[in-house]
Amino acid sequence: MNTLVVLLLILFGGGIIAYFAYNIHKIVGDIWLVLVGFAASIYYIGYLDVSQVLNIHLAGFVLTLALNSFSWIFGLLIAVLLPLVALYSIPYMKGQDRLGWFYMLFLFSVGGMYGILMAGDWLTLFIFWEIMTWSSYLIVIYRRSEDAPRVGLKYLIFSAIGAYSLLTAIVLIGANVHSLSISKFFEVLPMHSLGFKVLVGSLMLIGFGVKAAVMPLHVWAPDAYSTTPMNYTSMFSGALSKMGIYGIGLIVINLYYHSGISLAGEIVAWFGAITAVLATYYALIQKDAKRLMAWSSVAQLGYIVAGLGIGTKLSVFAGIYLAVLHGLFKANLFMAIGAVERQAGTTNFSELRALIRKMPWTFFSALISVIVLAGIPPLSGFVGKWMLYESMITSGHYVIVVFLFLASVAGFLYAFRFLFGVFLGQEEKEFEHVKEANPFMTVPMLLIALFLIVLGTFPGIMFKYIARSMADLGFYGVTYKMSVLTNDWGQSINMQYIAASLVIVFVLFLIVLTWVAYKNSRNVTTKDIHTSGEPPSEEDNYHFSENFYRPFQRAFAFVYKYAITPVYNEFARGIEDFFQYVRRLYTGNAQTYALYVLLFLAILFLIAKNIH
Amino acid sequence: MVATNHILVTPIYFIALPLFFAFLLPLLGKIYKSFIRIVPGLMFAYLAWMAVVLLLYVYKTGNPVIVKIAGWAPPIGIDLVFDQFTGFIATVIAILGFLVWMYSYLFKKVEFDNALKYFLLLMLIYAGSIGVVITGDLFNQFVFLEITGISAYALTAFYRGRDGAEAAFKYLLIGSFASTFVLLGILLIYTQLGTLNMADIARNIDKMDPTIKVIAFILLFTGFGIEAEMFPLNGWAPDAYSQSPGPIGAVFASMTSKAGLYALIRLSFTIFDFSSANELLFIMGILTLVFAEGIALRQEKIKRMLAYSSIGQIGLIMIAFSFNTYLGVFAGIFLMLNHALVKSLLFFSASFLAYNSPHKYIKDIQGFARYMPVTALMFGIGVFAIIGFPPFSGFWSKFYLLSAMAEKNFVILIILVLSVSLIELVYYFRVLHKLYFAEPTGEYQPHTPRWNAMLAMVLLALIIIAIGVYPDLVTGFIGKAAHAIMDKTTYINSVFSI
Repeated sequence: MNTLVVLLLILFGGGIIAYFAYNIHKIVGDIWLVLVGFAASIYYIGYLDVSQVLNIHLAGFVLTLALNSFSWIFGLLIAVLLPLVALYSIPYMKGQDRLGWFYMLFLFSVGGMYGILMAGDWLTLFIFWEIMTWSSYLIVIYRRSEDAPRVGLKYLIFSAIGAYSLLTAIVLIGANVHSLSISKFFEVLPMHSLGFKVLVGSLMLIGFGVKAAVMPLHVWAPDAYSTTPMNYTSMFSGALSKMGIYGIGLIVINLYYHSGISLAGEIVAWFGAITAVLATYYALIQKDAKRLMAWSSVAQLGYIVAGLGIGTKLSVFAGIYLAVLHGLFKANLFMAIGAVERQAGTTNFSELRALIRKMPWTFFSALISVIVLAGIPPLSGFVGKWMLYESMITSGHYVIVVFLFLASVAGFLYAFRFLFGVFLGQEEKEFEHVKEANPFMTVPMLLIALFLIVLGTFPGIMFKYIARSMADLGFYGVTYKMSVLTNDWGQSINMQYIAASLVIVFVLFLIVLTWVAYKNSRNVTTKDIHTSGEPPSEEDNYHFSENFYRPFQRAFAFVYKYAITPVYNEFARGIEDFFQYVRRLYTGNAQTYALYVLLFLAILFLIAKNIH
Repeated sequence: MVATNHILVTPIYFIALPLFFAFLLPLLGKIYKSFIRIVPGLMFAYLAWMAVVLLLYVYKTGNPVIVKIAGWAPPIGIDLVFDQFTGFIATVIAILGFLVWMYSYLFKKVEFDNALKYFLLLMLIYAGSIGVVITGDLFNQFVFLEITGISAYALTAFYRGRDGAEAAFKYLLIGSFASTFVLLGILLIYTQLGTLNMADIARNIDKMDPTIKVIAFILLFTGFGIEAEMFPLNGWAPDAYSQSPGPIGAVFASMTSKAGLYALIRLSFTIFDFSSANELLFIMGILTLVFAEGIALRQEKIKRMLAYSSIGQIGLIMIAFSFNTYLGVFAGIFLMLNHALVKSLLFFSASFLAYNSPHKYIKDIQGFARYMPVTALMFGIGVFAIIGFPPFSGFWSKFYLLSAMAEKNFVILIILVLSVSLIELVYYFRVLHKLYFAEPTGEYQPHTPRWNAMLAMVLLALIIIAIGVYPDLVTGFIGKAAHAIMDKTTYINSVFSI
């Protein structure tokens, strides 16, 4: 049997069975979910036959299932995340109702993602794209919270805008290329007119851009990411958004660079860069950890899009690498936030205090992820950013580099705000009862953290697969080394040295610290401080959670002044008002209707000469 | 043409049986009260089975089943044509008829007189709608249109309130315009050509005086346009949909509007040879679509919203047919099928929602999903199907429609249709969100659907999903139907070869 079909059957069939399993008993359902998660993951990594192709004739179209090495790498990301998220979900979703429904949709959406990656033609891609969309929409509104209708509708409308753009592009391809095959399309595309290329390409980019949350199509993302249960958000931001990246990669590279419209790629890169900057600045001022990370996702996806848009060998390489990394660390961060939410009951910075001693493992994995996010050596994020900046400088995109640099700097700020707001600061009585999360939650997080550390020192593990996938995009001869980064100026960095020296410095620092601390130590409480000679009382708060970055916010007020959401709202209201007015045509009066009939007849008689 | 005069399976029964039992029904009710429910059901089941048998026969042999009535061969006698196109539409109507009966099996359980009236009118409207589709005679079509119309007026005024009477009056007024125009059009043709047989008219249409031909066309187009709920002739429709009993909304969407639409299409495709007919269909389709869907956005009552949405779908079907390409016609027929299935499911489930809300406003149904989980789910499936999410059947018709537009490179039109689709999505999901998220305003003891209604809805939902997952269940039939309606010569020849 075709291995691709087996994988889809595991996920979709597993989803349907999960519904019934949870209705029998929660434990049965949990066991089944983990089984499906691991089965799909192991099957994908170990048994999937990438060379297999399946053609299904349906409704007069040929639906093709086939993987290639470019899509394989995104599938790998899902395969890594899926079993870990499944494990994490067991304690996270404890006590929720309608679990069967939730997990059915969960597995459907994962099945949809795999379907997208396997699609050998646009129709298959679109079908799975829509399955992924509606299942994720139903998960977004799963909690039935107060603003679920608003958030859900927003997500759905933007998804529909994206899907309809995609659909328009697909039917145009069908009519002009007479085949819906993706590879055939890219093959014959250079022969088509410029107008067709630009039209189809732009429509596709809008379609994929919605899921990748490229500005100005991003407005759904912060709300949807933060409303969804965190175990799904880790897949949502980690894997589902990468489907948009996958599509943008396909289009930008194939459509633009291989058929000679590099300007379009530049524009895409600019959209990415602007998204990265603005979303970072919005992330800074968020008051809730979930929303901060949601905005951060938008920003990080902006980097990736910028990388793909530049379209040189190195920048695409960096883009794919960052995409995989973002999948891992953002999933981890959302898991950590979920753990905090579950243990402390809130994710609001103004309420949370100093969980570091209560939840050390969660803190550790969040810390590692934040280091990756900020791109600090020795971890893998540094490698990705290094490559991205280098690719931009060597290809002469100095302005974009400045933009991304601004975003990176601000990225440090929100990364710190997240760590400080949740884990650091003064301890409060309110959170004394908080304990570390269930091992089912911490172990998956730590595993991802470990993986991120390894990737930082030996990025070559990942490079192998990325280099292979680059060949699929038409970049041949991509070379790499296991741990050494080189650049065009002849410099090189050995990540192993960096890692080793940092570890040595860290260990030495710890020794010194212990030594010093041992010599003259006394036990203090967190409130053991004096201000102007006055000891503060227990109630006094020295936690700067409100207006954390107010000076910064003032300095960049001009950035925050503009927002796209009101524009969309105005537009929607305009349409509603217009039709409210038009509605008066139907007066409810029989005479008016009779008049319409006669008028219609009269008009037809007037134009009767033209009827032939 | 082998099975023309088979004793058990003949298209005549589509008309003869419902009329016969409609007259017999009061008598049957005297014998045993439940007969008024059971007998129509048996008849609907039999006719649905017969339609499927006939359609399969036509599909396999490729020969249309043509019946001459009373032994007179056309063009003098009246003939019934059950070919790949009319047969397909008739089968859809027949199956939907059976499902509507199943849904309303327990309708007005205690009020015998009302139930009798309901089932009697249901059979008449069914006979009229199928008659319009399968008849090969223009005057005969007019008669069936009248049967459909009169039973529809009565059904609109079924609840003897002020609103019902008002709606029925509007319908009657506009409907009588339709009959007048159609009759005038037929008269003009008859005075010119001396025949009423559609095939015969089509064969000799160029012998008509050009001016009179145009006038006849305009009159018939307007008349049938009223029945097909074309903008701006559809003022009666929202009132009629919302005032008639629950299941009749589904009947209007799946039967009467289909009959009107069929007449319009037959007029443009077969009877007349105007190329402008397609342009006219195209323009009116766009106007119907945009106005209806936009106005649906601002509706406060759920059944009125569904009514406008239904009209919008008709506009879409008209656009699809107006392309006059194989793909367009194919998409149009697929849309007709989907519209019948999905709108029926929506009306079935929504009428229970409306039934339980005091004033039938959308805001009154909030939180009803808690009390009626299955009904709400069915409504949800209907919404997913009409928006066109795969794997529901609506996806395929939408995809074919857009492909047909792309084939003609109508990019602007694609964008327009999809923008309207977006409006559709907004108002449907608003209702869905109300249904699921809002807190109920008070404690309810809702009337939940009984087993029969539940079964009808679940069957419809299963059909919708089955077609969505495996569209080849119907694409073969639709493909042949599309060829049949586009091929005028074969239609004429097969009518005259008996």
